[in-house]
Amino acid sequence: MTGPEHRLPAEGMPADHTPGPVDLAAALAVLTDGGATAAASGRGTTSDLSIDEVLLLHSIGWEPVDLVFGVSWWSIPWGAWQWQTGEIADASAAFAGAVREASDLMREECARAGGSGVVGVDIGLRVASHHVDVTLTGTAVRRIGDSKPGFDFISDLSARDFALLTRAGWWPVGLAAGASFVIAPRRTAKQWASQQGQNMELPNLTNALYLARENAMEAMQRSGLDMAAEGIVNVKLREGPLGHSARIMQFVAFGTGVRLQEGTHRPVRPDMVVSLDERVREFDVRKLRNTGRR
Amino acid sequence: MEHPVGAPDPGEGDSQLTAADWTPTEGDLPEAAGRRLSDTAWSSGLSVPDFAATIAVGLEPASVVQGYAVLQWSWYAGARYRSTPLWGSGRSSGQYAEQWQCPHGFVGAEHRTWGYNAEVPWVQDSWAQGWGLAYKRMVEEAVAAGAHGVVGVVDDMQYLAGGYTAEFRISGTAVRVPGVRFPRQPFTTYLAGQRLAKLLEAGYAPVSVVAGLSAVQMFGYCITQYQLSGTVAGSTWASTGVESVHQVNRAQRAARHLARQRISEQLAGDALHGAVLDQFEHEAGEGDMTVQCLLKGNRVRRFKPFDPVGVPEPVVRLG
Repeated sequence: MTGPEHRLPAEGMPADHTPGPVDLAAALAVLTDGGATAAASGRGTTSDLSIDEVLLLHSIGWEPVDLVFGVSWWSIPWGAWQWQTGEIADASAAFAGAVREASDLMREECARAGGSGVVGVDIGLRVASHHVDVTLTGTAVRRIGDSKPGFDFISDLSARDFALLTRAGWWPVGLAAGASFVIAPRRTAKQWASQQGQNMELPNLTNALYLARENAMEAMQRSGLDMAAEGIVNVKLREGPLGHSARIMQFVAFGTGVRLQEGTHRPVRPDMVVSLDERVREFDVRKLRNTGRR
Repeated sequence: MEHPVGAPDPGEGDSQLTAADWTPTEGDLPEAAGRRLSDTAWSSGLSVPDFAATIAVGLEPASVVQGYAVLQWSWYAGARYRSTPLWGSGRSSGQYAEQWQCPHGFVGAEHRTWGYNAEVPWVQDSWAQGWGLAYKRMVEEAVAAGAHGVVGVVDDMQYLAGGYTAEFRISGTAVRVPGVRFPRQPFTTYLAGQRLAKLLEAGYAPVSVVAGLSAVQMFGYCITQYQLSGTVAGSTWASTGVESVHQVNRAQRAARHLARQRISEQLAGDALHGAVLDQFEHEAGEGDMTVQCLLKGNRVRRFKPFDPVGVPEPVVRLG
């Protein structure tokens, strides 16, 4: 999609710029025999962005390059989930290793495709008994006309969020993630018996969740600092029992590390709009049908 | 049903069927369908807002069109190893295949001394055959309806009769553009309504929907088997470490790259928008796995010079 026909958004272009009427004859002409040969030669670009997102990226001078992936499975040794309580360090380490490797692979693919970053990364995570697997899918992007961009970032922000973030003076630097898996201690027989028939907190499970939370949040924060991020936005959490056992508490946190581009935040001042559409007063036809039946 | 004259026979190894391959000259449309489609009454599968937006752009609904194909698949029949790149001639033709060797030497008869990852061409070709047939039949109906294209395409596949029979179905709303020359073949797109209008306004013409399935089979060697079971040789006293499961990672990446490659080959320099990736995997036992990736989206072609919209202004809605 690069080429001489491209130009960057004009400086000072009015915000209410609207495209002209659609010329369907011209659109269909490129699908005729003569028009088909006008298609660019070579490999086509691929992207999982919607047309809205592509237009939005274009409006800020960016374009999609290619669909890129990162997949990593890491093993968890046998016995990791048994005969112990507290954090399962092997599972947490496997998660960290899988995220790191998947990110590195995505980074390689992006650089090979000629992108300078990846937006809208969809993150898949599965924790099984003997492996953790992380899948990353996103679209590599670059500034329009930049034929030799250096790799810059991976982000799970949408194209809309990316446009807003950069407008406010911030820049995504990478995926920050942390996870912790904690096995809660069993209650003693005496505790179990004394707690029967009562509505009460189970501190062993609450404490396990808190321990997992603290470890995971710290790991995410540390991974953000490692990539020189000033903060992490769009943080998403996954918490609760893991599934193998009600006593295993998981806490997973991930988001996009960001830093200021020029040292200061640029406030985004949105215009306030009031819709003039009046909500149509509706009535339910079924009520008429049921009249007098009850 | 016979294949239409002029269409490539999808049963003869053509796994990359696209609309661009076919200019229908004489179809296999059922006679009743032909009569119905040539009637003056029209139908539309679009929602009312999409219908209104489609009309506003200048596209007139002609008919709801469909294509179906039910195929029997013999994935694990006698042909199982025939076209596996490791043994057949596929490897030399550029199909994906990798081998792993056990580092332990002779341990026992059941020890997995080697493993492989290999592309599974017959799964990919079977899927392409079914999807391609259904697609061609939908396009054929659009041609019979005198349409320039098909918008709002919906496609899916479901297994019948215990999983060895697959039904492919594709449908959409055929549309006409009064007074405009017909394209070489009707365009098709998953988009409709405002999304299609925005695509056209942005200077992209829809070319066709494209889809491709990739399949990679993994037979794990000893290390992979141990890593996926967490143990060494089934013992409970020796376990694997926390490490990358290299063979699985290679299979997973290969499946994604193959799906992307199959789509890219259909683009012929055009762009793909709105791609959707669905990934399936089936673990056949410790260390064995089949990974499939289905990638589809809208093939689009630029028809006017790049004209970016202005930088959108942020707004907050009150009330």
